Amino acid sequence: MTYVALLLLVLLFMWYLSFSAARLDRLHHRVETSWEHLDALLQRRAALALEISHQTDLDPATDFLLMQSAYVSREEAIVDRNDAERSLSESLKFLRESARSGELTISVRLLDELTALTEKITLAIKIHLEAVNSVAKLRSRPIYRLFHLAGKAKLPRIYSFEEDSL
Amino acid sequence: MISKPLRIGMVCPYGWDVPGGVQMHVRELAEHFIAQGHYVSVIAPVSDEDAITDSWLVNAGRPVPIPFNGSVARVLFGPIAASRVRQWIVQGDFDLLHMHEPGIPSISLLACWAAEGAMVGTFHASTPKMRAIASVGPLIEPMIEKLSARIAVSEMAQATLNNLYGTEAVVIPNGIDTTRFREAKGPGSVPGGLRIGFLGRFEENRKGLPLLLEALPRIIKAHPGVELVVAGPGDPARVLAKVDPQVARHVKFLGRLSEEEKVAFLASLNLYIAPNTGGESFGIILAEAMASGAPVLASNIPAFVDLLSVGDSGVTFISEDAADLARKVNDLLSNRPRLQQLAENGVEAAIRFDWGSVATQIMSVYEVAMTGHGKVAVGSENASWKKGRER
Repeated sequence: MTYVALLLLVLLFMWYLSFSAARLDRLHHRVETSWEHLDALLQRRAALALEISHQTDLDPATDFLLMQSAYVSREEAIVDRNDAERSLSESLKFLRESARSGELTISVRLLDELTALTEKITLAIKIHLEAVNSVAKLRSRPIYRLFHLAGKAKLPRIYSFEEDSL
Repeated sequence: MISKPLRIGMVCPYGWDVPGGVQMHVRELAEHFIAQGHYVSVIAPVSDEDAITDSWLVNAGRPVPIPFNGSVARVLFGPIAASRVRQWIVQGDFDLLHMHEPGIPSISLLACWAAEGAMVGTFHASTPKMRAIASVGPLIEPMIEKLSARIAVSEMAQATLNNLYGTEAVVIPNGIDTTRFREAKGPGSVPGGLRIGFLGRFEENRKGLPLLLEALPRIIKAHPGVELVVAGPGDPARVLAKVDPQVARHVKFLGRLSEEEKVAFLASLNLYIAPNTGGESFGIILAEAMASGAPVLASNIPAFVDLLSVGDSGVTFISEDAADLARKVNDLLSNRPRLQQLAENGVEAAIRFDWGSVATQIMSVYEVAMTGHGKVAVGSENASWKKGRER
Protein backbone atom coordinates (compact mmCIF):
# COMPACT_ATOMS: atom_id res chain seq x y z
CA MET A 1 0.00 0.00 0.00
CA THR A 2 2.71 2.48 0.99
CA TYR A 3 4.65 1.61 -2.17
CA VAL A 4 1.70 2.55 -4.30
CA ALA A 5 1.36 5.86 -2.45
CA LEU A 6 5.08 6.54 -2.84
CA LEU A 7 4.94 5.71 -6.54
CA LEU A 8 1.96 8.00 -6.97
CA LEU A 9 3.82 10.76 -5.14
CA VAL A 10 6.88 10.38 -7.37
CA LEU A 11 4.71 10.37 -10.48
CA LEU A 12 2.90 13.44 -9.25
CA PHE A 13 6.18 15.19 -8.59
CA MET A 14 7.49 14.31 -12.04
CA TRP A 15 4.34 15.58 -13.63
CA TYR A 16 4.77 18.80 -11.65
CA LEU A 17 8.33 19.17 -12.88
CA SER A 18 7.36 18.71 -16.48
CA PHE A 19 4.44 21.08 -16.01
CA SER A 20 6.79 23.71 -14.57
CA ALA A 21 9.29 23.26 -17.37
CA ALA A 22 6.54 23.67 -19.94
CA ARG A 23 5.36 26.79 -18.15
CA LEU A 24 8.81 28.31 -18.24
CA ASP A 25 9.25 27.31 -21.85
CA ARG A 26 6.04 29.11 -22.75
CA LEU A 27 7.27 32.22 -20.98
CA HIS A 28 10.64 32.05 -22.74
CA HIS A 29 8.79 31.82 -25.98
CA ARG A 30 6.73 34.86 -25.04
CA VAL A 31 9.90 36.84 -24.37
CA GLU A 32 11.17 35.88 -27.80
CA THR A 33 8.05 36.86 -29.67
CA SER A 34 7.58 40.11 -27.75
CA TRP A 35 11.23 40.95 -28.48
CA GLU A 36 10.81 40.19 -32.17
CA HIS A 37 7.81 42.48 -32.25
CA LEU A 38 9.71 45.24 -30.42
CA ASP A 39 12.77 44.81 -32.63
CA ALA A 40 10.65 45.14 -35.77
CA LEU A 41 9.15 48.37 -34.42
CA LEU A 42 12.62 49.70 -33.56
CA GLN A 43 13.78 48.96 -37.10
CA ARG A 44 10.82 50.90 -38.41
CA ARG A 45 11.67 53.76 -36.09
CA ALA A 46 15.25 53.86 -37.38
CA ALA A 47 13.99 53.92 -40.97
CA LEU A 48 11.54 56.68 -40.12
CA ALA A 49 14.31 58.69 -38.44
CA LEU A 50 16.35 58.50 -41.63
CA GLU A 51 13.36 59.63 -43.66
CA ILE A 52 12.76 62.57 -41.32
CA SER A 53 16.43 63.49 -41.54
CA HIS A 54 16.20 63.34 -45.33
CA GLN A 55 13.04 65.38 -45.72
CA THR A 56 13.41 67.97 -42.98
CA ASP A 57 15.56 71.05 -42.97
CA LEU A 58 17.47 70.26 -39.78
CA ASP A 59 20.52 71.84 -38.24
CA PRO A 60 23.65 69.67 -38.66
CA ALA A 61 23.88 68.72 -34.97
CA THR A 62 20.36 67.30 -34.81
CA ASP A 63 20.82 65.66 -38.17
CA PHE A 64 24.11 64.13 -37.11
CA LEU A 65 22.57 62.62 -34.00
CA LEU A 66 19.54 61.32 -35.83
CA MET A 67 21.43 59.75 -38.70
CA GLN A 68 24.20 58.27 -36.64
CA SER A 69 21.90 56.58 -34.14
CA ALA A 70 19.53 55.44 -36.88
CA TYR A 71 22.33 53.81 -38.86
CA VAL A 72 23.70 52.03 -35.81
CA SER A 73 20.19 50.89 -34.78
CA ARG A 74 19.67 49.33 -38.16
CA GLU A 75 23.02 47.62 -38.45
CA GLU A 76 24.30 46.45 -35.10
CA ALA A 77 23.33 43.57 -32.82
CA ILE A 78 21.24 44.65 -29.88
CA VAL A 79 24.08 44.55 -27.33
CA ASP A 80 25.98 47.13 -29.35
CA ARG A 81 23.12 49.40 -30.12
CA ASN A 82 21.69 50.15 -26.71
CA ASP A 83 23.36 53.57 -26.72
CA ALA A 84 22.13 54.25 -30.24
CA GLU A 85 18.54 53.40 -29.32
CA ARG A 86 18.81 55.73 -26.36
CA SER A 87 20.11 58.62 -28.46
CA LEU A 88 17.41 57.92 -31.00
CA SER A 89 14.74 58.06 -28.29
CA GLU A 90 16.19 61.34 -27.00
CA SER A 91 16.57 63.02 -30.37
CA LEU A 92 13.16 61.97 -31.63
CA LYS A 93 11.59 63.18 -28.39
CA PHE A 94 13.36 66.47 -28.93
CA LEU A 95 12.08 66.64 -32.53
CA ARG A 96 8.48 66.00 -31.50
CA GLU A 97 8.67 68.66 -28.80
CA SER A 98 10.27 71.17 -31.17
CA ALA A 99 7.60 70.46 -33.79
CA ARG A 100 4.82 70.85 -31.23
CA SER A 101 6.11 74.25 -30.08
CA GLY A 102 6.51 75.38 -33.68
CA GLU A 103 10.30 75.79 -33.64
CA LEU A 104 10.64 73.20 -36.35
CA THR A 105 8.55 72.22 -39.35
CA ILE A 106 8.25 68.51 -39.96
CA SER A 107 5.85 67.12 -42.54
CA VAL A 108 2.52 66.25 -40.90
CA ARG A 109 2.58 62.74 -42.30
CA LEU A 110 6.00 61.96 -40.82
CA LEU A 111 5.10 63.53 -37.50
CA ASP A 112 1.86 61.53 -37.26
CA GLU A 113 3.69 58.38 -38.17
CA LEU A 114 6.35 59.09 -35.56
CA THR A 115 3.76 59.74 -32.86
CA ALA A 116 1.88 56.54 -33.66
CA LEU A 117 5.08 54.51 -33.79
CA THR A 118 6.31 55.92 -30.49
CA GLU A 119 3.06 54.88 -28.80
CA LYS A 120 3.38 51.39 -30.22
CA ILE A 121 6.99 51.11 -29.06
CA THR A 122 6.10 52.31 -25.57
CA LEU A 123 3.46 49.59 -25.39
CA ALA A 124 5.70 46.91 -26.91
CA ILE A 125 8.44 47.68 -24.39
CA LYS A 126 5.96 47.42 -21.53
CA ILE A 127 4.73 44.01 -22.74
CA HIS A 128 8.24 42.76 -23.38
CA LEU A 129 9.49 43.87 -19.97
CA GLU A 130 6.54 42.19 -18.33
CA ALA A 131 7.48 38.89 -20.01
CA VAL A 132 11.16 39.34 -19.10
CA ASN A 133 10.29 40.00 -15.48
CA SER A 134 8.01 36.96 -15.27
CA VAL A 135 10.79 34.75 -16.57
CA ALA A 136 13.26 36.18 -14.08
CA LYS A 137 10.79 35.75 -11.23
CA LEU A 138 9.99 32.16 -12.13
CA ARG A 139 13.60 31.21 -12.66
CA SER A 140 14.60 32.55 -9.26
CA ARG A 141 12.34 29.97 -7.54
CA PRO A 142 14.32 27.13 -5.87
CA ILE A 143 12.64 24.29 -7.79
CA TYR A 144 13.57 25.83 -11.13
CA ARG A 145 17.14 26.32 -10.10
CA LEU A 146 17.49 22.94 -8.39
CA PHE A 147 16.25 20.95 -11.39
CA HIS A 148 17.77 23.21 -14.05
CA LEU A 149 14.39 23.63 -15.65
CA ALA A 150 15.62 26.57 -17.69
CA GLY A 151 18.16 24.32 -19.41
CA LYS A 152 20.66 26.34 -21.39
CA ALA A 153 18.31 29.24 -22.11
CA LYS A 154 19.96 32.56 -21.27
CA LEU A 155 18.26 34.76 -18.73
CA PRO A 156 16.68 37.52 -20.81
CA ARG A 157 18.18 40.89 -19.98
CA ILE A 158 16.77 44.35 -19.78
CA TYR A 159 18.48 47.05 -21.84
CA SER A 160 18.63 50.52 -20.44
CA PHE A 161 16.94 52.02 -23.49
CA GLU A 162 13.84 50.10 -22.49
CA GLU A 163 13.65 52.11 -19.29
CA ASP A 164 13.71 55.53 -20.94
CA SER A 165 10.56 57.55 -21.29
CA LEU A 166 9.85 57.99 -24.96
CA MET B 1 54.49 89.91 -26.78
CA ILE B 2 51.04 90.54 -28.18
CA SER B 3 50.87 93.12 -30.90
CA LYS B 4 47.14 93.70 -30.64
CA PRO B 5 44.44 92.26 -28.37
CA LEU B 6 42.15 89.82 -30.17
CA ARG B 7 38.43 89.22 -29.92
CA ILE B 8 38.15 85.45 -29.47
CA GLY B 9 34.94 83.41 -29.41
CA MET B 10 35.12 79.92 -27.91
CA VAL B 11 32.43 77.27 -28.23
CA CYS B 12 32.10 74.54 -25.60
CA PRO B 13 29.81 71.69 -26.71
CA TYR B 14 29.14 70.13 -23.29
CA GLY B 15 26.99 71.32 -20.37
CA TRP B 16 29.03 74.00 -18.61
CA ASP B 17 27.84 73.22 -15.08
CA VAL B 18 28.86 69.55 -15.24
CA PRO B 19 32.52 68.84 -14.46
CA GLY B 20 34.48 67.53 -17.43
CA GLY B 21 37.83 67.73 -19.15
CA VAL B 22 36.68 69.80 -22.10
CA GLN B 23 34.81 72.33 -19.95
CA MET B 24 37.84 72.71 -17.67
CA HIS B 25 40.14 73.18 -20.66
CA VAL B 26 37.91 75.87 -22.19
CA ARG B 27 37.55 77.70 -18.87
CA GLU B 28 41.27 77.80 -18.12
CA LEU B 29 42.23 78.72 -21.68
CA ALA B 30 39.68 81.56 -21.67
CA GLU B 31 40.90 82.84 -18.32
CA HIS B 32 44.51 82.66 -19.51
CA PHE B 33 43.81 84.73 -22.64
CA ILE B 34 41.68 87.23 -20.71
CA ALA B 35 44.54 87.68 -18.26
CA GLN B 36 46.80 88.41 -21.26
CA GLY B 37 44.50 91.23 -22.31
CA HIS B 38 42.43 89.58 -25.02
CA TYR B 39 38.64 89.75 -25.20
CA VAL B 40 37.15 86.27 -24.85
CA SER B 41 33.51 85.17 -24.98
CA VAL B 42 32.55 81.54 -24.36
CA ILE B 43 29.22 80.07 -25.43
CA ALA B 44 28.11 76.80 -23.83
CA PRO B 45 24.96 74.87 -22.90
CA VAL B 46 23.94 75.57 -19.30
CA SER B 47 21.48 73.61 -17.13
CA ASP B 48 21.26 75.98 -14.20
CA GLU B 49 21.34 79.62 -15.27
CA ASP B 50 21.80 80.84 -11.69
CA ALA B 51 25.09 78.98 -11.45
CA ILE B 52 26.74 81.25 -14.04
CA THR B 53 29.15 83.61 -12.39
CA ASP B 54 31.48 84.48 -15.23
CA SER B 55 30.68 87.60 -17.22
CA TRP B 56 32.35 86.14 -20.32
CA LEU B 57 30.02 83.13 -20.48
CA VAL B 58 26.99 83.09 -22.79
CA ASN B 59 24.20 80.56 -22.24
CA ALA B 60 23.18 78.69 -25.41
CA GLY B 61 20.33 76.77 -23.81
CA ARG B 62 19.61 73.69 -21.75
CA PRO B 63 21.64 70.60 -22.69
CA VAL B 64 20.15 67.16 -23.45
CA PRO B 65 21.76 63.99 -22.04
CA ILE B 66 22.86 61.62 -24.83
CA PRO B 67 24.82 58.39 -24.36
CA PHE B 68 28.18 58.75 -26.07
CA ASN B 69 31.49 56.87 -25.88
CA GLY B 70 30.59 54.96 -22.70
CA SER B 71 29.31 57.91 -20.70
CA VAL B 72 26.48 60.39 -20.95
CA ALA B 73 27.30 63.60 -22.80
CA ARG B 74 25.24 66.73 -22.17
CA VAL B 75 24.95 68.31 -25.59
CA LEU B 76 22.75 70.88 -27.27
CA PHE B 77 21.23 70.92 -30.73
CA GLY B 78 18.13 72.08 -32.57
CA PRO B 79 16.83 75.21 -34.28
CA ILE B 80 16.76 77.45 -31.19
CA ALA B 81 20.34 76.59 -30.30
CA ALA B 82 21.38 77.19 -33.90
CA SER B 83 19.88 80.67 -33.96
CA ARG B 84 21.41 81.56 -30.57
CA VAL B 85 24.86 80.54 -31.79
CA ARG B 86 24.32 82.57 -34.97
CA GLN B 87 23.28 85.61 -32.95
CA TRP B 88 26.29 85.24 -30.66
CA ILE B 89 28.62 85.22 -33.67
CA VAL B 90 26.99 88.35 -35.11
CA GLN B 91 27.13 90.28 -31.85
CA GLY B 92 30.62 89.10 -30.88
CA ASP B 93 32.45 90.80 -33.74
CA PHE B 94 35.15 88.14 -33.41
CA ASP B 95 38.56 87.96 -35.01
CA LEU B 96 38.55 84.23 -34.55
CA LEU B 97 36.32 81.37 -33.41
CA HIS B 98 37.73 78.43 -31.47
CA MET B 99 35.42 75.38 -31.62
CA HIS B 100 35.96 72.57 -29.16
CA GLU B 101 35.04 69.08 -30.29
CA PRO B 102 33.29 70.17 -33.52
CA GLY B 103 32.91 66.52 -34.53
CA ILE B 104 30.13 65.76 -32.08
CA PRO B 105 26.47 66.77 -32.47
CA SER B 106 26.41 69.94 -30.39
CA ILE B 107 26.82 73.71 -30.67
CA SER B 108 30.44 73.62 -31.87
CA LEU B 109 29.19 71.91 -35.01
CA LEU B 110 26.39 74.49 -35.26
CA ALA B 111 28.92 77.32 -35.01
CA CYS B 112 31.02 75.66 -37.72
CA TRP B 113 27.94 75.56 -39.90
CA ALA B 114 26.95 79.18 -39.33
CA ALA B 115 30.28 80.97 -39.39
CA GLU B 116 32.53 82.17 -42.20
CA GLY B 117 36.07 83.27 -41.44
CA ALA B 118 38.99 82.33 -39.21
CA MET B 119 38.12 79.18 -37.28
CA VAL B 120 40.17 76.78 -35.20
CA GLY B 121 38.88 73.43 -33.96
CA THR B 122 40.24 71.38 -31.08
CA PHE B 123 39.57 67.63 -31.06
CA HIS B 124 39.66 66.10 -27.61
CA ALA B 125 38.16 62.63 -27.93
CA SER B 126 39.56 59.45 -29.27
CA THR B 127 36.66 57.18 -30.06
CA PRO B 128 37.03 53.49 -30.78
CA LYS B 129 33.55 53.31 -32.31
CA MET B 130 34.51 54.32 -35.82
CA ARG B 131 31.56 52.79 -37.59
CA ALA B 132 29.02 54.82 -35.67
CA ILE B 133 30.67 58.07 -36.72
CA ALA B 134 31.66 56.77 -40.14
CA SER B 135 27.98 56.69 -41.10
CA VAL B 136 27.81 60.48 -40.85
CA GLY B 137 31.43 61.19 -41.72
CA PRO B 138 30.72 62.34 -45.26
CA LEU B 139 28.23 64.88 -43.91
CA ILE B 140 30.57 66.22 -41.27
CA GLU B 141 33.65 66.41 -43.47
CA PRO B 142 32.65 69.69 -45.18
CA MET B 143 32.13 71.25 -41.73
CA ILE B 144 35.57 70.11 -40.56
CA GLU B 145 37.08 71.50 -43.76
CA LYS B 146 35.75 74.95 -42.93
CA LEU B 147 38.15 75.07 -39.99
CA SER B 148 41.28 76.99 -40.95
CA ALA B 149 43.36 74.94 -38.50
CA ARG B 150 42.84 71.87 -36.39
CA ILE B 151 44.33 70.96 -33.02
CA ALA B 152 44.32 67.46 -31.47
CA VAL B 153 45.04 67.14 -27.76
CA SER B 154 46.96 63.88 -28.11
CA GLU B 155 48.37 61.45 -30.65
CA MET B 156 45.26 59.34 -30.02
CA ALA B 157 42.91 62.17 -30.83
CA GLN B 158 45.00 62.91 -33.90
CA ALA B 159 44.75 59.28 -35.09
CA THR B 160 40.98 59.31 -34.60
CA LEU B 161 40.65 62.51 -36.58
CA ASN B 162 42.79 61.10 -39.33
CA ASN B 163 40.76 57.89 -39.52
CA LEU B 164 37.39 59.60 -39.52
CA TYR B 165 37.91 62.57 -41.78
CA GLY B 166 41.30 61.96 -43.28
CA THR B 167 42.66 65.29 -42.07
CA GLU B 168 45.75 66.18 -40.11
CA ALA B 169 45.99 68.27 -36.98
CA VAL B 170 48.62 69.96 -34.84
CA VAL B 171 49.05 68.10 -31.54
CA ILE B 172 48.94 70.47 -28.56
CA PRO B 173 48.32 68.90 -25.14
CA ASN B 174 45.69 70.02 -22.65
CA GLY B 175 46.96 72.64 -20.24
CA ILE B 176 47.23 72.73 -16.47
CA ASP B 177 48.37 75.38 -14.03
CA THR B 178 51.49 73.64 -12.75
CA THR B 179 52.37 76.30 -10.18
CA ARG B 180 49.12 75.62 -8.34
CA PHE B 181 49.97 71.92 -8.10
CA ARG B 182 53.59 72.41 -7.19
CA GLU B 183 52.73 74.55 -4.16
CA ALA B 184 50.76 71.73 -2.50
CA LYS B 185 52.24 69.86 0.44
CA GLY B 186 53.65 66.36 -0.04
CA PRO B 187 52.62 63.08 1.59
CA GLY B 188 54.75 63.90 4.61
CA SER B 189 51.94 66.24 5.70
CA VAL B 190 49.57 63.32 6.25
CA PRO B 191 50.48 61.15 9.22
CA GLY B 192 50.15 57.37 9.18
CA GLY B 193 50.37 54.67 6.56
CA LEU B 194 50.53 54.41 2.83
CA ARG B 195 47.96 56.28 0.75
CA ILE B 196 47.17 55.17 -2.78
CA GLY B 197 44.62 57.21 -4.68
CA PHE B 198 42.02 57.04 -7.44
CA LEU B 199 40.08 59.94 -8.93
CA GLY B 200 37.15 59.87 -11.33
CA ARG B 201 33.49 58.94 -11.81
CA PHE B 202 34.12 55.61 -10.15
CA GLU B 203 30.82 53.97 -11.09
CA GLU B 204 31.79 54.02 -14.76
CA ASN B 205 33.55 50.72 -15.44
CA ARG B 206 35.92 52.23 -17.98
CA LYS B 207 37.47 54.33 -15.21
CA GLY B 208 38.71 51.05 -13.74
CA LEU B 209 37.87 51.17 -10.03
CA PRO B 210 36.50 47.55 -10.09
CA LEU B 211 39.91 46.41 -11.32
CA LEU B 212 41.68 48.25 -8.54
CA LEU B 213 39.31 46.74 -5.94
CA GLU B 214 40.04 43.32 -7.40
CA ALA B 215 43.76 43.91 -6.93
CA LEU B 216 43.37 45.43 -3.46
CA PRO B 217 43.37 42.19 -1.35
CA ARG B 218 46.80 41.29 -2.75
CA ILE B 219 48.07 44.82 -2.01
CA ILE B 220 46.74 44.66 1.56
CA LYS B 221 48.49 41.32 2.05
CA ALA B 222 51.86 42.85 1.21
CA HIS B 223 51.17 46.25 2.80
CA PRO B 224 48.67 45.88 5.68
CA GLY B 225 48.78 49.61 6.43
CA VAL B 226 47.66 50.66 2.94
CA GLU B 227 44.67 52.94 2.41
CA LEU B 228 42.90 53.38 -0.92
CA VAL B 229 41.45 56.87 -1.17
CA VAL B 230 38.78 57.29 -3.83
CA ALA B 231 37.76 60.76 -4.97
CA GLY B 232 35.03 61.67 -7.42
CA PRO B 233 31.24 61.69 -7.78
CA GLY B 234 29.23 58.49 -7.32
CA ASP B 235 27.54 56.27 -4.76
CA PRO B 236 30.13 54.41 -2.57
CA ALA B 237 27.50 51.98 -1.20
CA ARG B 238 26.87 50.53 -4.63
CA VAL B 239 30.57 49.87 -5.17
CA LEU B 240 31.28 48.54 -1.69
CA ALA B 241 28.35 46.10 -1.81
CA LYS B 242 30.45 43.81 -3.99
CA VAL B 243 33.55 44.07 -1.79
CA ASP B 244 34.61 41.92 1.17
CA PRO B 245 34.15 44.00 4.38
CA GLN B 246 37.72 43.17 5.43
CA VAL B 247 38.93 44.81 2.22
CA ALA B 248 36.39 47.63 2.36
CA ARG B 249 37.94 48.78 5.66
CA HIS B 250 40.94 49.94 3.65
CA VAL B 251 38.88 52.05 1.25
CA LYS B 252 37.95 55.64 1.93
CA PHE B 253 35.61 57.75 -0.25
CA LEU B 254 36.03 61.51 -0.38
CA GLY B 255 33.19 62.34 -2.77
CA ARG B 256 33.45 65.10 -5.36
CA LEU B 257 36.38 67.42 -4.74
CA SER B 258 36.76 71.13 -5.40
CA GLU B 259 39.80 72.22 -7.39
CA GLU B 260 41.68 73.16 -4.21
CA GLU B 261 40.75 69.87 -2.55
CA LYS B 262 41.95 67.99 -5.62
CA VAL B 263 45.37 69.61 -5.40
CA ALA B 264 45.67 68.70 -1.71
CA PHE B 265 44.37 65.18 -2.40
CA LEU B 266 46.93 64.46 -5.13
CA ALA B 267 49.79 65.84 -3.10
CA SER B 268 48.84 63.65 -0.11
CA LEU B 269 49.30 60.40 -2.04
CA ASN B 270 52.21 58.01 -1.98
CA LEU B 271 51.02 56.64 -5.31
CA TYR B 272 48.36 57.76 -7.80
CA ILE B 273 46.71 54.94 -9.75
CA ALA B 274 44.88 55.31 -13.08
CA PRO B 275 43.43 51.86 -13.87
CA ASN B 276 41.28 53.09 -16.79
CA THR B 277 40.43 50.37 -19.27
CA GLY B 278 39.98 52.65 -22.29
CA GLY B 279 38.00 55.53 -23.72
CA GLU B 280 40.62 58.05 -22.59
CA SER B 281 42.16 60.40 -25.09
CA PHE B 282 44.51 62.44 -22.95
CA GLY B 283 44.46 61.80 -19.21
CA ILE B 284 44.80 65.33 -17.81
CA ILE B 285 44.59 63.84 -14.31
CA LEU B 286 47.91 62.08 -14.86
CA ALA B 287 49.52 65.40 -15.78
CA GLU B 288 48.01 66.94 -12.63
CA ALA B 289 49.21 64.09 -10.42
CA MET B 290 52.69 64.45 -11.91
CA ALA B 291 52.67 68.20 -11.36
CA SER B 292 51.73 67.76 -7.72
CA GLY B 293 54.53 65.29 -7.12
CA ALA B 294 52.44 62.13 -6.81
CA PRO B 295 54.13 59.11 -8.45
CA VAL B 296 51.87 57.72 -11.17
CA LEU B 297 50.97 54.12 -11.98
CA ALA B 298 48.65 53.84 -14.99
CA SER B 299 47.22 51.16 -17.26
CA ASN B 300 49.08 50.79 -20.54
CA ILE B 301 46.29 52.19 -22.72
CA PRO B 302 47.76 54.20 -25.64
CA ALA B 303 46.83 57.65 -24.27
CA PHE B 304 48.59 57.00 -20.96
CA VAL B 305 51.65 55.34 -22.49
CA ASP B 306 51.93 58.37 -24.74
CA LEU B 307 51.61 60.83 -21.86
CA LEU B 308 54.08 59.00 -19.61
CA SER B 309 56.63 58.42 -22.39
CA VAL B 310 58.68 61.52 -21.59
CA GLY B 311 61.54 61.21 -19.11
CA ASP B 312 60.62 58.15 -16.97
CA SER B 313 57.74 60.04 -15.39
CA GLY B 314 55.47 57.11 -14.50
CA VAL B 315 54.99 53.36 -14.50
CA THR B 316 52.41 51.36 -16.46
CA PHE B 317 50.78 47.97 -15.89
CA ILE B 318 48.97 45.68 -18.32
CA SER B 319 45.49 47.11 -18.80
CA GLU B 320 42.65 45.05 -17.28
CA ASP B 321 45.12 42.72 -15.53
CA ALA B 322 44.48 42.88 -11.76
CA ALA B 323 47.42 40.58 -10.95
CA ASP B 324 49.88 42.81 -12.80
CA LEU B 325 48.35 45.89 -11.17
CA ALA B 326 48.78 44.39 -7.68
CA ARG B 327 52.35 43.34 -8.45
CA LYS B 328 53.36 46.79 -9.72
CA VAL B 329 51.73 48.56 -6.75
CA ASN B 330 53.51 46.26 -4.30
CA ASP B 331 56.87 46.69 -6.02
CA LEU B 332 56.54 50.47 -6.00
CA LEU B 333 55.31 50.77 -2.41
CA SER B 334 58.27 48.68 -1.20
CA ASN B 335 60.73 50.87 -3.06
CA ARG B 336 60.71 54.36 -1.50
CA PRO B 337 63.74 55.70 -3.43
CA ARG B 338 62.02 54.74 -6.71
CA LEU B 339 58.82 56.56 -5.66
CA GLN B 340 60.85 59.62 -4.76
CA GLN B 341 62.59 59.54 -8.13
CA LEU B 342 59.29 59.13 -10.03
CA ALA B 343 57.83 62.09 -8.15
CA GLU B 344 60.76 64.32 -9.10
CA ASN B 345 60.72 63.20 -12.74
CA GLY B 346 56.95 63.77 -12.86
CA VAL B 347 57.16 67.36 -11.67
CA GLU B 348 59.72 68.08 -14.35
CA ALA B 349 57.84 66.27 -17.14
CA ALA B 350 54.60 68.10 -16.26
CA ILE B 351 56.09 71.48 -17.13
CA ARG B 352 55.31 70.90 -20.80
CA PHE B 353 51.60 70.88 -19.88
CA ASP B 354 51.77 74.29 -18.22
CA TRP B 355 49.38 76.88 -19.65
CA GLY B 356 52.31 79.19 -20.26
CA SER B 357 53.62 76.91 -22.98
CA VAL B 358 50.29 75.39 -24.12
CA ALA B 359 48.51 78.73 -24.60
CA THR B 360 51.48 80.15 -26.51
CA GLN B 361 51.27 77.24 -28.94
CA ILE B 362 47.51 77.72 -29.33
CA MET B 363 48.05 81.44 -30.00
CA SER B 364 50.49 80.54 -32.77
CA VAL B 365 47.80 78.39 -34.36
CA TYR B 366 45.35 81.31 -34.05
CA GLU B 367 47.79 83.54 -35.91
CA VAL B 368 48.09 81.05 -38.75
CA ALA B 369 44.31 80.65 -38.91
CA MET B 370 43.67 84.40 -39.06
CA THR B 371 46.00 84.96 -41.98
CA GLY B 372 43.98 86.21 -44.92
CA HIS B 373 40.72 86.51 -42.96
CA GLY B 374 38.90 89.57 -41.69
CA LYS B 375 36.30 89.47 -38.93
CA VAL B 376 34.23 86.32 -38.47
CA ALA B 377 30.84 86.63 -40.15
CA VAL B 378 27.80 84.40 -40.48
CA GLY B 379 26.91 82.61 -43.69
CA SER B 380 23.69 83.29 -45.56
CA GLU B 381 20.63 82.83 -43.37
CA ASN B 382 18.59 79.63 -43.63
CA ALA B 383 21.04 77.91 -45.92
CA SER B 384 20.29 74.24 -45.58
CA TRP B 385 23.48 72.43 -44.81
CA LYS B 386 22.48 69.52 -47.00
CA LYS B 387 21.74 71.70 -50.00
CA GLY B 388 25.14 73.28 -49.55
CA ARG B 389 26.65 69.82 -49.68
CA GLU B 390 24.89 68.82 -52.88
CA ARG B 391 25.90 71.86 -54.79
